Amino acid sequence: MGVLSDLPEHINELLEDLGGGPVIGSGDSWFYISQYTIWMLIAAVVLLVIVFAAKKRMALVPQGRFVNAVEYVVEFIRRDVGEGVIGHGYEKHLPLLLTIFFFIVINNIIGLIPGCKPGTGTMGVTFALALVVFIYFNWFGIKQQGLGTYIKNIGPAGVILPLFLLIWCIELVSLFLRLITLAVRLFANMYAGHIVMGTFAILTTLFLTPLITSFSAGALGTATASIGWMLLLVAMYLMECLVAVIQAYVFTLLTAVYISLARGH
Amino acid sequence: MSAKSVTGSKVLSVSLLASVSALAAPAIALAEEEGGGGIGLLIPKMGEFLPALVAFLVLLLILGKFGWPIIVGALDKRAAQIKDDLEKAEANRIETERILAEHKAQLDEARVEAAQIIADAKSTGEAVKSEITAKAQQEAENMIAKANQAIEAQKKQAIAELQGSVADISASVAGRLIGHDLTDAEHLKLIERYVAEAGSLDAN
Repeated sequence: MGVLSDLPEHINELLEDLGGGPVIGSGDSWFYISQYTIWMLIAAVVLLVIVFAAKKRMALVPQGRFVNAVEYVVEFIRRDVGEGVIGHGYEKHLPLLLTIFFFIVINNIIGLIPGCKPGTGTMGVTFALALVVFIYFNWFGIKQQGLGTYIKNIGPAGVILPLFLLIWCIELVSLFLRLITLAVRLFANMYAGHIVMGTFAILTTLFLTPLITSFSAGALGTATASIGWMLLLVAMYLMECLVAVIQAYVFTLLTAVYISLARGH
Repeated sequence: MSAKSVTGSKVLSVSLLASVSALAAPAIALAEEEGGGGIGLLIPKMGEFLPALVAFLVLLLILGKFGWPIIVGALDKRAAQIKDDLEKAEANRIETERILAEHKAQLDEARVEAAQIIADAKSTGEAVKSEITAKAQQEAENMIAKANQAIEAQKKQAIAELQGSVADISASVAGRLIGHDLTDAEHLKLIERYVAEAGSLDAN
């Protein structure tokens, strides 16, 4: 148990680090720039560079893996998410869907680079994205159906009035919950993933430390356990690579679903 | 779905982590709350929210105007071009097949015609050949017949001439043998005697 005595301290350090403390200003002031904001801005620049580089190289005959990869993702979002979920008239929602997917996926992937943080690893960023989506699909629904019809259509059709009112209230709450679930789902996945990876990394180090400080049979035995932690860390890292893409996809897919629901019938 | 299973394994990992932490020290939970953990994490910080909102809206504006439409447009253009090319290729294929069929039909026709011409030529040749043969045969027969007639006529003439000359020669030979010319009465007697001798010869 000796090696684990330092664990709480390290975990607290990890959590503090994942808190992404302020780089400029202080956490108490109204405006400050945190590490997450910086990584989010870096991701935004990377996204701009990728899109404009791809745009510049677009040709009738596709050339190069980079352009092919970008094209593949664009086509995937367009066909599977846009056409598949929204269907007719999906074209005008494509810029939002594509920007959301690419922005989130780039943030998530940057977060996987050791030493970097995912811009999506904080509620501030994910809530901003969720809010844009929330306003977007509601605005679209109101534009499509008219304000009155849109509000009325929150509840189900063909139900007696008392029941309609009850369900309408529940549906209204569920509508606003979308804002929160979208933001929390993405944030929690990124945050939890990084905590788990961080913990495994800490455990690997902790179990290895006795061997470095003084070589003994006992220390060697403890160090072998760190191989297990290392393997877990690698497994977790691989899974986080999947999660990075899946969560971006889920966010984009739900955006498309909400847009298609807001369109009405 | 896969997202669900991923979340499931994450829950597993977190519970593993929790058990390790529980072994280590109960102080973690306390420290977490002190370090702004728990529900505090779920409250968006204005300092992060506003830059993210502005950055995302700017991205949306820039990419929505100058990024995605061009990429999607290029993809559309390519798809249209490929579709067009395929359709053209299909039309060309059909046209080529039609022309090929036409040429085949023409070739077949030509072949039949050639065969017909050869057959006609053969039959004409055959006819001409048999006509010529028949004519030649006819002519040959005619010639043979004429030759036969001429031979017959000349033979008859020769026989007649020979008969005349034999009678004369025999008469003159007989006259010379006898020494004088026979009168008709003597001549007759001689013939009768000769006939009688011949008759007696026959009787023998």
